[in-house]
Amino acid sequence: MDGVLEGIVSGLQVAFSLQGILFVLIGVFIGTFIGMLPGLGPISAIAIMIPLTYGMDPALALVLMAGVYYGAVFGGSTSSILLNAPGISGTVATSFDGYPMAQQGKAGKALAVAAISSFAGGTISVILLMIFAPVLASVAISFGPPAYFALMLLGLTAIASLSEGSTLKALISAVVGFMIVTIGIDPQTGTARFTFGSANLLDGIDFLVIALGLFALAEVGYLIINRKQKGMKNAKEIGSLKLTKEDAKEMGGPISRHSILGFIIGILPGAGATIASFISYITEKRISKKPEEFGKGSVKGLAAPEVSNNAATSGAFVPLLSLGIPGSGTTAVMLGALLVMGIQPGPLLMTDRPEIFWGVIASMYIGNIFLLILNLPLIPYIARVLTIPRPLLISMVIMFSVIGVYSISFNTFDLYLLLAFGVIGFLMRMFAFPAPPFILAFILGGMMEQAFRQSMTISNGSLMIFIENKIALVLIILSLLSFLYPIYQSYRNKKRAAREVG
Amino acid sequence: MKKFLSLSLFVMLALFLAACGNDDSSGDDTTDGDETSGEWEPEQSIEIVAPAGAGGGWDTTARMAAQVFQEEGIISEDIGVVNKPGGGGAVGWAYIANQEGSNHNLFVSSSPILLVPLSGQSEYGHEDFTPIANVIADYGAFAVNADAPWEDLNELFEDMKEDPSSITVVGTSSPGSMDHIQFVRFAKAAGVDITKIKYVSAPDADGITQILNGSADVYSTGVAEVVEQAKAGNIRVLAVTSEERLDGDTLSDFPTAKEQGIDEVFINWRGFFGPPGMDQAAVDYYEAKFKELSDSDAFAEIRANYGWDEMYMGSEEYKQFLDEEKESLESILEELNLLGE
Repeated sequence: MDGVLEGIVSGLQVAFSLQGILFVLIGVFIGTFIGMLPGLGPISAIAIMIPLTYGMDPALALVLMAGVYYGAVFGGSTSSILLNAPGISGTVATSFDGYPMAQQGKAGKALAVAAISSFAGGTISVILLMIFAPVLASVAISFGPPAYFALMLLGLTAIASLSEGSTLKALISAVVGFMIVTIGIDPQTGTARFTFGSANLLDGIDFLVIALGLFALAEVGYLIINRKQKGMKNAKEIGSLKLTKEDAKEMGGPISRHSILGFIIGILPGAGATIASFISYITEKRISKKPEEFGKGSVKGLAAPEVSNNAATSGAFVPLLSLGIPGSGTTAVMLGALLVMGIQPGPLLMTDRPEIFWGVIASMYIGNIFLLILNLPLIPYIARVLTIPRPLLISMVIMFSVIGVYSISFNTFDLYLLLAFGVIGFLMRMFAFPAPPFILAFILGGMMEQAFRQSMTISNGSLMIFIENKIALVLIILSLLSFLYPIYQSYRNKKRAAREVG
Repeated sequence: MKKFLSLSLFVMLALFLAACGNDDSSGDDTTDGDETSGEWEPEQSIEIVAPAGAGGGWDTTARMAAQVFQEEGIISEDIGVVNKPGGGGAVGWAYIANQEGSNHNLFVSSSPILLVPLSGQSEYGHEDFTPIANVIADYGAFAVNADAPWEDLNELFEDMKEDPSSITVVGTSSPGSMDHIQFVRFAKAAGVDITKIKYVSAPDADGITQILNGSADVYSTGVAEVVEQAKAGNIRVLAVTSEERLDGDTLSDFPTAKEQGIDEVFINWRGFFGPPGMDQAAVDYYEAKFKELSDSDAFAEIRANYGWDEMYMGSEEYKQFLDEEKESLESILEELNLLGE
């Protein structure tokens, strides 16, 4: 225990040194700024920082990169809320209630809710990280393929709750999402699926292409078509960013629940902020007394995913720092940068290099405070993006979407895909097919399929593996409940209505 | 608002520079037909393509080579590294194939340039390009959970011979690519029926997780991936694929397969190629420069940092090595029924 205390002290020394504070500030500033731009997420932000970190002290370099990472997740909600253009998959769920809120002329409030939720999620999870980090390594590896499959299944039950109106249309939308994610090389057999002989499709379609096409570009098309409508005027207003007592009260529940939930899901390698935010969103909707408000600008519906994705970001450092396992694309890039500096993150990092391990964790406290200080006063200015004349704003969204997609692979083929998905998204909107089930199926479907087939190979084809694995069993029961409860609810409501009539 | 706009413009500009700064040398066509013999020197900046995303093995090798070339003054022209990810390399190779005859475009590659075309996923293979020099090698390792019953590779293979369905092998890449094939090669040498090996690819959640929590039994991967976990006593490394034991603490504790009586070696080589039809004079020039790079102290330090081995081969030797390697891989893939058309 002495060793741990000494480690924490050496970590605090790194984090509170002048350089430490400076690099946290630089990191979160760059991160939150790049995160705010539609189409640009933490991976591009960190990739830009890597050359800068060569030759730096490894602890400070990691402090800087971590700052960029959670800064980008913090700022990422901005483009989701204001422009419906999520730059990272973790903020897709933020747009479900954030964007409608901004459209109702409450952009200021939406941004404030997001900033405070992000801060709370980030800070609470860092505290959890500090207390439990040494024992969390075992949690990070507790999920085998059957458990991952069951977790994705639980996430998928959200489709029913994400459908406004026709459930059938939501299901069709989800099925198309599943179909799109099967494009590319199938990892379990190595065969190419649905690539039509094109090398450009071998790696599948990137999340960003789908998200910016279905959300941002589709929205742009919709705005152009409806430019004469009166309702559009409202959206130019920013509204007050003061939160009422009720708002604060509404946020209390989601903050306490989802900072823990998000953190735990974030620890699991591969699951991360996206799945955390979706699961938080549906849980919040399920337990809400007013589920009908969700999707129309609910404070809880905005706070839940925002708390969760920031909490998950801290959680993602557990497998990276305690096991050397990168849980996401972003942490994989950071792992690569650490290797360059001669640091091999692994189970011994905490004892061999405590100043790195604890330095990063301690710096996150400072980072989250900086983020709040940076973001809150800027909200009125940032929200004024909405007052930019529509034609200019629309052009900017298109431009940023194109840059974001091009910066993934520097391949023009992806730009055609972006355009195609923009058209698909626009048509889906015109014919009232909801886009969220599509993107949810796309995000979860790939991992779900892999986990299922890995399980099947391991068990020699026996489905019993999902029942024998305790975590999987619990999650499958939860999925069933989550799936059946709304059906039961609507059945009961109908019965009651019938009784009242009769 | 103005502040936001100008700041966002600034960030964009920075991004653009970062993204495109290296691109200025692409698409050149200043081939020098008249210089069939004698000395050749680059006349403009050189582009090295890493046919993968930033942060991977190819990207790191290309960037480190470029860095040493410049810092040590081995090559005075600017060198830019460009990422062309996609299709396990196929997108990048198609791009290079279009630079036919250029003397200023190089790319880095390793066994996928043999395996990906064999599985039918790239129309270009190593025969289509100009091998310049191999520079480094690293090796594979087979690891099991520290609590697993197998103490050495032979015990594992004995169990696999008895009941292949009871043992799951996990790797990061898909069947028919490196992690899978390196294991199959050793299993075959030990007399295991390789068509019955259960192999799982874990591209998202790392294979090491599945070993640590017991979902899978054997982890087939690169040596660098297992060192830390082995040092912490979480996993046991049954064998490394090198000819002799590797240098370094912990590393030298790993037994080779050879010393366990399984006569097989797998080298994950990595080297540089040029586009089709590169001038012989240019090939000679780069060959000498890569030799200088490989012999430099600066590059030796980088090798040590990443746990790479020195493995220099000149153009002719390299080409022959690749042809032989491809033949042997082809026969294994054929047996596994993984050959593409």
